[in-house]
Amino acid sequence: MALLELRDLSVRFRTNDGEVHAVNQVNLDVDAGETVGIVGESGSGKSQLSFAIMGLLARNGTASGMVTFDGQQILNTPPKVINKIRAEKIAMIFQDPMTSLNPYMRVADQMAEVLTLHKGMSKKAAVAESARMLDAVRIPDARARVNLYPHEFSGGMRQRVMIAMALLCRPKLLIADEPTTALDVTVQAQIMALLAELQTEFGMAMILITHDLGVVAGSCERVAVMYGGRIRETGPVGPLFTDPAHPYTQGLLAAIPRIDHGDEELAAIPGSPPNMSRPPEGCAFEPRCSYRREECAHLAPPLEDFAKGRARACFAPLNDVRGGRATVHLSEVEPPAGDIDDDDITPAPIADAIIGGAGVAGTSSKVDQP
Amino acid sequence: MFAYVMRRLAVAIPTLLLLIVFSFLLMHLAPGGPFSQERELPAQVLANLNEKYGLDQPLWRQIISYVWGIIAHFDFGPSFVYPDRTVNQLIAAGFPVTLTYGTLAFVAAVVTGVALGVVAAIWHNSWVDYLAVGISIGAQVLPNFVMAPILVLVFTLWYRMLPGGGWSFNDPSFWVMPVIALSTSYMASIARITRSSMLEVLGSNHIRTARAKGMPEHRVIIRHALKPAMLPVISYLGPVFVSMITGSVVIDIYFSTGGIGKAFVDSALNRDYAVMMGVTILVGALTILFNLVVDILYAWIDPKIRY
Amino acid sequence: MIIEQSKMQSLAARMSKDEVKGRSPWADARKRFFRNKAAMAGLIILILVGLFAIFGNSFAVWSNEELDFNVMGQVTTMGMPSLENGHYFGTDDLGRDLYSRTVQGTQISLMVGIVGAAIAVIVGTLYGATAGYFGGRTDQLMMRAVDILMSIPYMFVLILLLVMFGRSMSMLFLGIGLISWLDMSRIVRGQTLSLKNREFIEAARATGVPGWKIIIRHIVPNLLGVVAVYATLLVPLMILTESFISFLGLGVQEPLTSWGALISEGAGTINYGTLWQLAFPLFFFCITLFGFFFVGDGLRDALDPKER
Repeated sequence: MALLELRDLSVRFRTNDGEVHAVNQVNLDVDAGETVGIVGESGSGKSQLSFAIMGLLARNGTASGMVTFDGQQILNTPPKVINKIRAEKIAMIFQDPMTSLNPYMRVADQMAEVLTLHKGMSKKAAVAESARMLDAVRIPDARARVNLYPHEFSGGMRQRVMIAMALLCRPKLLIADEPTTALDVTVQAQIMALLAELQTEFGMAMILITHDLGVVAGSCERVAVMYGGRIRETGPVGPLFTDPAHPYTQGLLAAIPRIDHGDEELAAIPGSPPNMSRPPEGCAFEPRCSYRREECAHLAPPLEDFAKGRARACFAPLNDVRGGRATVHLSEVEPPAGDIDDDDITPAPIADAIIGGAGVAGTSSKVDQP
Repeated sequence: MFAYVMRRLAVAIPTLLLLIVFSFLLMHLAPGGPFSQERELPAQVLANLNEKYGLDQPLWRQIISYVWGIIAHFDFGPSFVYPDRTVNQLIAAGFPVTLTYGTLAFVAAVVTGVALGVVAAIWHNSWVDYLAVGISIGAQVLPNFVMAPILVLVFTLWYRMLPGGGWSFNDPSFWVMPVIALSTSYMASIARITRSSMLEVLGSNHIRTARAKGMPEHRVIIRHALKPAMLPVISYLGPVFVSMITGSVVIDIYFSTGGIGKAFVDSALNRDYAVMMGVTILVGALTILFNLVVDILYAWIDPKIRY
Repeated sequence: MIIEQSKMQSLAARMSKDEVKGRSPWADARKRFFRNKAAMAGLIILILVGLFAIFGNSFAVWSNEELDFNVMGQVTTMGMPSLENGHYFGTDDLGRDLYSRTVQGTQISLMVGIVGAAIAVIVGTLYGATAGYFGGRTDQLMMRAVDILMSIPYMFVLILLLVMFGRSMSMLFLGIGLISWLDMSRIVRGQTLSLKNREFIEAARATGVPGWKIIIRHIVPNLLGVVAVYATLLVPLMILTESFISFLGLGVQEPLTSWGALISEGAGTINYGTLWQLAFPLFFFCITLFGFFFVGDGLRDALDPKER
């Protein structure tokens, strides 16, 4: 049995413009100690998926389906039950370390309250343990800095604080929601290395949510590619990268700028992501897909296994996709599949978590402020 | 922190001086003012004024002696109308009354407003929220001069529960209507501000982090949400304070409570400029002092403001 | 009673964001506004009150100054609202027709509110835009002046002015308008600071457009949303201020009247059971305030949609 099992997990948001179908019938397993990457553009539902697992959806959001952790159903359970899981069994780190820490509280207090809450430690012991954990995430002079406020740390240091805080109870699963998106490229690498190291040290499983394929390639064992709230392709990292079986995965990989092919133009996927408040009848990727077929417009392809440990959701014959035999030629600039408006499709309170860079592959738009 | 307070004081003191000088000049410019000869003043008053400021002296000397009197001796000079009274005496008679019902109204507005706003935000879009929003929307078109007659109508004329006016320090039944009339519309504003800032804070990233820690919701609210949600409320307390002092004018007139508002309006009707100025300067000083306290409170809560 | 500064700042930020995206925030906003039931109700109320102020007099049987000698002396019984003798809203204590007095009070209160708000918005916008645009020393000096002015107890100074220089409508307009521009100037300044380094402003500067022209042509139009919302929310505050002063008997002078003066008269005679003297002016006062609040809030929510 897997550590975490998602069965038909769906997330809906009620907004003024109708119901937003953020996540649709996602099935995913995570084994103990394993690292699973979830990749997708902003608005693909990957962050909402993680919030649903933790029961952290915004007020106007509802989740349905099943989430089983260690054999226990945890989706939509009463606060008392889920609060025993949060931080203690499943911890989470968020995209934006600038705003995810409480700016009005000393780091010591924010960290220590996790231990006093879950482990019943005294305040003093909890602060000491927090300082030790800050040391473990390589924050220099941790014992003094534990008494600072978050704004006195740089972006990268704040993300280290977030990581330290998440690890305090030695959780079995860590959900990292775009942990490096808001950081400098050099800091990104340090944080990813740190995460990988801590993961082996603590022996925990990790779900890494990102839009950055480079990050996935470097640190995950398995990947799930999401688009329009659905998983489009899953499989082990190696085969998925060398032999993508879904047109969207292909597009993503082709969009990574390569220095060794310097003379070529950047290959972008034409069009823009679907507006999930008016979900398309068929495959959400159909308007942007160069392998599209007639049935794609009105039928949603199911996720089906096609090789050991690999699955994809596409009607186009596997060999056509592998062989790059496109059926339609898409002009470079296609009218967008629907006017996309961040504020309309994302629930307001968490909009920040999703807006972030929409680019693919190692391009980060925000720069760490020292 | 000390340096911050000092810097704020460095701004506050010149402001106050400016206010005093400005009021004095205004009085001088006023047609029919005490210093022009158009108006007949009682001989005794003129003698008092002459003794105090030296009306035959140049203007700048008069200003200095007025300012000095206030700063050094807290002395606002003689009344322009009552030969045997000083401004200090006239103000001192009403000040304790205003202070009593003003403080009560301020506390009532803040406590009920914050409570209402927090409750509404926590149970957002529930009947509690709608009730709180309804109350605060309704109450904001009920300023003190509207509340006062309505309260008298209901509690004095219809139910005969409360005295319709007057004041006694020993009998709280005299306090009830002034406090309610004065606090209602500010309670409504505070509730609105608290609700919307609490809603914003509850949707913020750091609250999500706190929830992800597995804290029960009430602890998340008390430990993590209350402080930041209070910041907009605190910065509104300055204006509330000023408006309440202003509102005391209505209270004093309608309920005959005899606070400084009465001294102000009486002097306005008598053209007793000295008393008007005295009250204005006193209120200005209180405002400056209160804003200073609010700023310090704000800086104390928000660690990002480092003096 | 208050305009929430944090929400206004959020609106200001939103308006300039949309400007940069190059799409008009107004088209979407109109749709949202018309969908907002409270705002539409407020708009209808305001239109009705406006019609009442403009055309109300043509239905009046009595003028606002005439004394009805049949009623005088027995106002409690004869002065009640009645359709028969033409006193739709009854009479006041002197036997004057309350209907035509309410019409006049409505005219004056609305006028004071709108003119006062206009003065405050114009002064505040120009002052804030100037401070923000020129920046540096000028900005510091101008904003320090605002800080100082903020701690002056305005209502007292205004009453002082009214008493010293005599009561007049122009004094009232000026005094009320000059009370409320300070907050406006702060928001406008902040907004100007964030706008002035944008490309389109720099382009204008590079081509030699003079500073004041840039302020008028490029910065002020960007602030239109904030100004519109602020003005709408300021009108009821101005009405409140005027009513407050009139309640104290220091506002408009007889035979002119305003809501505040009428409420004051009605409140004074409450003991004699002539409730209508309070009820009618108070009704118009309250619904108009509601109308402006709902429209102002609706406008702001339409321009700056957020879950609130």
